[in-house]
Amino acid sequence: MTMTETPAPSVSPNEQPAGFEPEITAFTCIYCAYMAADTAGALRLQYPANVTFVRLPCTGKVDVRYILQAFEQGADGVYVVACPIGNCHHVRGNERGRSRVEHTRELLEAVGIEGERLEMFFMSGGQGATFALVAEQMVERIRQLGPSPLKTRAR
Amino acid sequence: MPNPEERAALVIGGGVGGMRAALDLAEVGIRVYLVESTPGLGGRVAQLGFMFPTHDCVLCRGTSDHGYGCTRPSISPAFLDHNRHPNITIFTNTLVVAVEGQAGDFRVMLSQEPRYVDPARCINCGECEKVCPVEIPSSFQAGLSTHKAIYKSAPRALPDAYVIEYGPYCEDCGRCARACPTHAIDLNQFFQTITLNVGAIILALGYQLFDAGNLEEFGHGRYPNVLHSMQYERLASRSGPTEGIVHRPSDGKIPKRIAWLQCIGSRDQENPFCSSICCMYATKQAILAKERLAEVGCSVFVMDERAFNKEYNSYYVQSREHYGVEYVRCRVSEVREDPATHDLILHYMDEMGQLRRERFDMVVLSVGTQPPAEAEAMARLLDIELNPSGFCRVDKFTPLQTSRPGVFVCGAFSTPKEIAETLIDASGAAAEVVRLLGFNPNNQVSHVLPFLDESDLPPEKDVNGQPPRVGVFLCSCGSCIGETVDLDAVADGAAHLPGVVYTERLRFACFPEGRHYLRRAIEQYGLNRVVVGACSGRTHESLFQRVVREVGLNPYLLELINLREHCAWVHQGQPELATRKAQTLVRRAVGRLRPARALHRQTLTPAAAALVIGGGVAGMTAALAIADSGYEVHLVERDDTLGGNLRHIYYVAEGDNPQQLLRDLVNRVLAHEHIHVHMRTELTAQTGHVGDFRSTLRTTHYGGFTTETSVRHGATIIATGGRETRNGYGLEDHPNVITQSDLEKLIAHNPQALEGVRSVVMIQCVRPPHLPDYCSRTCCTNTLKNAIRLKMLDENCQIIVLYKDIVTYGFREQYYTEARRRGVIFLRYTDARKPEIEPAGDRLKVRVADLSLGRPFEVMADRVVLSMSIEPAEGTARLARLLQVPLSPEGFFMEAHLKMRPMDFMQEGVFLCGMAHYPKFIEECISHALATAGRALQVLSQKSFHLGGVVAEVDPARCVGCLTCVRTCPFGIPEVRPDRPGVGDLGGSAYIDPSRCQGCGTCTAECPANAIQLLNYLDEQIMQL
Repeated sequence: MTMTETPAPSVSPNEQPAGFEPEITAFTCIYCAYMAADTAGALRLQYPANVTFVRLPCTGKVDVRYILQAFEQGADGVYVVACPIGNCHHVRGNERGRSRVEHTRELLEAVGIEGERLEMFFMSGGQGATFALVAEQMVERIRQLGPSPLKTRAR
Repeated sequence: MPNPEERAALVIGGGVGGMRAALDLAEVGIRVYLVESTPGLGGRVAQLGFMFPTHDCVLCRGTSDHGYGCTRPSISPAFLDHNRHPNITIFTNTLVVAVEGQAGDFRVMLSQEPRYVDPARCINCGECEKVCPVEIPSSFQAGLSTHKAIYKSAPRALPDAYVIEYGPYCEDCGRCARACPTHAIDLNQFFQTITLNVGAIILALGYQLFDAGNLEEFGHGRYPNVLHSMQYERLASRSGPTEGIVHRPSDGKIPKRIAWLQCIGSRDQENPFCSSICCMYATKQAILAKERLAEVGCSVFVMDERAFNKEYNSYYVQSREHYGVEYVRCRVSEVREDPATHDLILHYMDEMGQLRRERFDMVVLSVGTQPPAEAEAMARLLDIELNPSGFCRVDKFTPLQTSRPGVFVCGAFSTPKEIAETLIDASGAAAEVVRLLGFNPNNQVSHVLPFLDESDLPPEKDVNGQPPRVGVFLCSCGSCIGETVDLDAVADGAAHLPGVVYTERLRFACFPEGRHYLRRAIEQYGLNRVVVGACSGRTHESLFQRVVREVGLNPYLLELINLREHCAWVHQGQPELATRKAQTLVRRAVGRLRPARALHRQTLTPAAAALVIGGGVAGMTAALAIADSGYEVHLVERDDTLGGNLRHIYYVAEGDNPQQLLRDLVNRVLAHEHIHVHMRTELTAQTGHVGDFRSTLRTTHYGGFTTETSVRHGATIIATGGRETRNGYGLEDHPNVITQSDLEKLIAHNPQALEGVRSVVMIQCVRPPHLPDYCSRTCCTNTLKNAIRLKMLDENCQIIVLYKDIVTYGFREQYYTEARRRGVIFLRYTDARKPEIEPAGDRLKVRVADLSLGRPFEVMADRVVLSMSIEPAEGTARLARLLQVPLSPEGFFMEAHLKMRPMDFMQEGVFLCGMAHYPKFIEECISHALATAGRALQVLSQKSFHLGGVVAEVDPARCVGCLTCVRTCPFGIPEVRPDRPGVGDLGGSAYIDPSRCQGCGTCTAECPANAIQLLNYLDEQIMQL
């Protein structure tokens, strides 16, 4: 991107396209994260259905390409849910995953996508309420940010 | 006489010990009946939020649940309703009412209380709970919350179904039965009597908590902010009533000061034993409080801090120094409450003798362990003896054997103990049962899939290369999914996806009729890929994998998506978005399946022999247990005699004769037809993997020449032991400064040499400078044993023991009591001011700062006896490198998991027992050795076993050997092998051993050349977003 190009305009909430429903992709490990989602379900804790899941064996498997692919395929936001630090089923897969998420955030910023659209959360399998809360917060955050710049540019 | 081919065993108690024992027996082909008196499995461990010192969440590692999809299941996956080990039958809500017969042939009668809910038909929808009018306190949440009379005993209960607590609670109104969409509830069920024939019985009854209400002075039950430790555990647990947010019951405020009072119901007149676990769990709770509650003050009131296992001491030091948990050395005798604020006031005397008064927001009573409630009844029923404290009586050298042949015991029922030791006992008891009954190779299950009985399955169809024909089956789970998600719309959408040839909606996919329909549709429409949209993969993936396998499809060609817990149940009232989400999930699943490949595990036949390294008590015990079961054992001993440290133990505190045990073991080992003893021999090389190791043994013969032998074996057991260090205080040459084992030898062989000795000072915790600080576990009891002997020889001999903490856990506490009764003087010192010894002619001047007097104290001693640290045996580090297994910070071998896998390594087929693991007593070495034998037998007894599965695979044609995977792998598995040419045939490429890979995929995500793929999670599968 050259300096003369106009950056994608940041959309303020009241300028949202009508009926914007964020599409959010969440990568979950099949240990704590999957189980936290199960716990939220068992307790019927409600959260917005804008979040869809992709299961991975461990968040250590989260690849920079997977995150970028999610954005390319139309996600307005992406987040990763892992076991608590120090409690990863695969010892420190979640730490490797975290450093990749941080790196990807820089990549996103570099191509003009807000880094806040990507986030990582750590929770134990019993924390259904936390799982629901995180989904809600993320949907709210993306609602504020508006559709992904990839979508608006395409338009 | 039961059918000898049947070989059945009964395990009583469905806690962590009983589950482990049942699984170990099932694995070698013994039929197991697991009886549990409550409605669910898991026992005490299921209630724990975190384990010490690993802070692992028990949800994942323990029994209450285990992450789904684990390729190397620990315990609980084998008990999930749809993944049950075929050799295990579970009876919950069941009591044993009669036992007759003898070892090898018991007839057992059980009485099963009805659940009133059929677990096979319960879909956990919770409709019953909504309409139930009765609320009762939750025992799982230690009374901190309530549940209905129809309830699930725990969020992830096993069996995974509701149950009715009938008793005095249920009003029999029938509303639940009417609300149940699957007609799973039948209020007219009756008690059932079940009769079984079994060859052996394992008691895994566990323990019960001391009832804190019995000690009125602590105010439990009267003062709202006094909790017992299990209540606090639930409060601080992520699966507790508040998801781990600790607050005061009286006003909901976050506590600023919390006190833990130790030894509530332990180490007193009524309970003359140490409960062994409370010091560590209180430390754990205090550390977690410090981590989570801002500026909380934590004080632990403790007599001795007993941190006597691997990494426990550093945990305790971390608690004190890093987290600032305060440890106050005293026993608090009373708690008072300020009625206005419900704050709690403690009066106590500190170590300097000062009276103090302090105010706390919350007091936690560290309640001890008591014999299980049913101990006495069970003892009468089984005709076994209990010890004076009401626990199961065992002898020192047969720690898993009750007083009745054929009846074994494991876990806290024999003496208070923690999870790791309970699991050791459980595997050990299983080995004892195998020794008694033999095992049945024809009754073993294949591990192609977890716990799948392959016997009546059709051959698998080869669908590789065929164009995908995907079937999408959507379960409405009654109305659970259908009422929120528009399944017609989802099915219509799915029908248009590339590769999808068939879509269908089912009412209950998991019910027999649903499974039948699935199988028929797969065959009728020639489907070669299947998506099931239903409920949790955690509970149902294995069920549907089995369904597709039953019609010849590879199980990895199934994709289960969770439309219930992950969609319909959490998006009620958002039908449009929920339907959009379901469509996305189905699209991804189909996309994931199109490039999916059948996965096969490599099949191998194990070598029917074991290698045991070390010929001490642990090594010999393990060798005998394996050889008695009919397998060959190569026992390798570096020395020219068997026995190890046991040769230098002449008597034990309990009074048994260790030399008799030594003779017994040596004679049996030398005479055993299946044991090949390699004396004066060391292991010099080992290659291969589980089931197929090849080892090179180098024997040094008399005269100095050496020969090498090569052996093939399926399992390796490390039993190399430890040794007492010597160089304390630099006074080794002084004739009257000796170690405890020197003193033991004198007392046993030359007591005359001790005549005229009027004054002895014994110093505990003497550590040579090269060793890290840890508790050597056995020294306190050893010191007491020698002190008592000295007092028996001459009651006027003055004995002063200088100690930091007296660590006499379990029933060893009685020797501490007896030593004090006999007049042994105990003075505590701290690391800040260690005792000093100054030779004064033949005698010695010992100087120590007496904490209670607040001034130095000097005494002249005829003998100074040092309790020296126990360190790993010489060569431990070299052996660890050779076998590629890790060492702990203390220098001992490091097992796969401190709590859940105390005898395994991450490297399968290699096991660990005895003092090579950590210093321990003879009986603990024996249990540990039996446990490794049990584990090794699981490998050796398999007709065939399977490697690989969901593992990472390197494409050598893309690998440049950059070592990224080697650095990244959390388990240290990848290696760059020069014999595998990489890119352009240059250098070496990475190799990931499929027998060791844990399947996390971390390396695949990090490989800069994308040369590694995780099977079943190929990039092209996941990128279909």
